[in-house]
Amino acid sequence: MDGRTFFRAFRDRGGKSGVSELVRLTDVTKVYQGGITGALNGVSVSVEKGEFTAIMGPSGSGKSTLLNMVAGLDRPTSGGVAVGGTDLGKLGEAGLARFRRDHIGFVFQFFYLLPNLTALENVLIPAQLKGNAATGRARALLERLGIKDVEDKYPARMSGGQQQRVAIARALINNPTLLLADEPTGALDTHTGEQVMELLGQVHRDGQTILLVTHDAKLATRHAARVISVMDGKIVDDARLESPERAPSDVIRVRGEEVSR
Amino acid sequence: MSLKFGVLGLLKGEPLHGYEVKNRFEAMLGGTWEVNIGQIYTTLQRLERDGLVRPVGPRGDRGKLLYELSPEGQQALDQWLAQPDSGPQQLHEDIYVKLLLATRIANGDLDQLLARQKRAYLQRLRDLNRLEERARRDGRIDLARLVRGALLHTEADLKWMDELSSEHFGTEGAKAE
Repeated sequence: MDGRTFFRAFRDRGGKSGVSELVRLTDVTKVYQGGITGALNGVSVSVEKGEFTAIMGPSGSGKSTLLNMVAGLDRPTSGGVAVGGTDLGKLGEAGLARFRRDHIGFVFQFFYLLPNLTALENVLIPAQLKGNAATGRARALLERLGIKDVEDKYPARMSGGQQQRVAIARALINNPTLLLADEPTGALDTHTGEQVMELLGQVHRDGQTILLVTHDAKLATRHAARVISVMDGKIVDDARLESPERAPSDVIRVRGEEVSR
Repeated sequence: MSLKFGVLGLLKGEPLHGYEVKNRFEAMLGGTWEVNIGQIYTTLQRLERDGLVRPVGPRGDRGKLLYELSPEGQQALDQWLAQPDSGPQQLHEDIYVKLLLATRIANGDLDQLLARQKRAYLQRLRDLNRLEERARRDGRIDLARLVRGALLHTEADLKWMDELSSEHFGTEGAKAE
């Protein structure tokens, strides 16, 4: 089975057919004690299955808070969050933990791999929490992400790009309904960051729904056709971008001076 | 830059006639600078007048005339190539003038204009990204590099709009009125 079919098989096992809306936030407000930045103020938005959506905004705008709400890592002060038809507000702590384990893959800026485990062992953690033996799938994921050769290495022996790929494999091992990524290229150099984003793009093309928080508009628009702009805890724009094939001269004009003298 | 040095540079390798200059120039820039043949002929005539190019042989079929670089043209080209691009920053920022004027007219309510402009820049980034992808896939590395420059410029434009938004551009003007 080639890599493409492999990812598709992943998605189909976890997908709920016939439901196009995957995430719904209804009038979500988050107030932090002591005026910590990142609060949200009445945010309503929905994300459809299969979308690659970028959330952009300055630091402290609330974009990471929004992602954490969807992940069930944080609860709103008021308002509702539903993912795949599950109202997260109705889940207790144990229920939320199960929800995260079964439905959410999360990729962070600083990877957060466990230092005393190898790449393969790190990837396997979420599967083991679920009670699954998934070594074969983990190896296949590592191969798909181009890092089969670091399988037995510890994080300290890997480059940043390799660590982030391992983190992506870990996020995908349980075949999540939703992949969330918070500044996944923020700790990487430009070239490595592009490679990591290219992998996320590939995972998306194979059917994965992705919500990405980033401050890099170049990278965001490369893969995401929808860009949500957040400022001061509010959504100030929700742009669905077009993707036509345009002639070079319709995209760039090199301008010369008029012929004179 | 002016077309002049582009033409001189292309004639450096071999004598060319007007149409060949046009085609090679456009191909070199990956179709991002379209010139009409009239501009090319005017440029060639002026370069000939200034002694920087000269015709080679008589007119060929359909009146085609080949041009080559003269020693003076070679010298002018070398000087130009060795010079850094300097002088004032060229901005074509219609949007800034719009914002300034809208401040006076709309009493500082510029959020919509800024939001629309940001969205236009996001769409441009999307288009540029897709063009870069296509250029790389087709092995047109020169075009891909040019697109990269355009991406960085557009990113800067977007950041500028973000700064203006977060400063609540225009509200100072409204108070002053």
